[in-house]
Amino acid sequence: MAFMAVAIAVRVRFFARLRELAGNETEALQVPPGSRLEDVYETLRGKHAALPLRESVRAALNQEFADWSTVVQDGDEVAFVPPVSGGL
Amino acid sequence: MRYDVTTGPIDARELEAVVTHPGAGAICTFSGTVRDNARGQSVTHLDYEAYAEMAVPQMRKIGEEIKQRWPAARVAMAHRTGKLEIGEVSVVVSVSCPHRHEAFEACRWGIDRLKESVPIWKKEHAADGTFWIEGEETKPAIG
Repeated sequence: MAFMAVAIAVRVRFFARLRELAGNETEALQVPPGSRLEDVYETLRGKHAALPLRESVRAALNQEFADWSTVVQDGDEVAFVPPVSGGL
Repeated sequence: MRYDVTTGPIDARELEAVVTHPGAGAICTFSGTVRDNARGQSVTHLDYEAYAEMAVPQMRKIGEEIKQRWPAARVAMAHRTGKLEIGEVSVVVSVSCPHRHEAFEACRWGIDRLKESVPIWKKEHAADGTFWIEGEETKPAIG
């Protein structure tokens, strides 16, 4: 009998101002199989109303910048970050 | 090649020692330091935050891009995180090449790419408040 996953678990990380707005540095989140990064972020916006619109945010999947349409897998590390400002 | 995100002081001479070799006639080193003003306001200190597990691979990727454009180049980069006082070094990019022209170009290209693609953020503590810098934008910090 095939095992049908009803949810997959991802580890969410927030950085800089997004971390402050979310009130969390890391978070475990369950989402339906087939969820894309944009779905994950919208789910999080539902939980943390202060999070900004997607337009001013970049997503990273397993420590690489990724398109919002990328589908997440069980065990993935998902990060949401503001525009970067390292350097001088 | 060396790529670091570190909470301690950065020694530019150490990075130069990594890239120097007998075939390199030029070493170009860029050091970014904490400035005492921004947007017409005095700045007291900065806090840098990094997604370190991603920042180091991103720096390595920039080093590989430099090697593709300037095949003879050797590259080292370091970025400091945590609280930095005025005048302290936040970032160093050091590039060696056979000749000065390509060393200048590759080093400049490296720091420009770092500023646009490495996940590190600056929080500015200034006379008029505390702000996150996000690309070209300045946004009030919450905590």
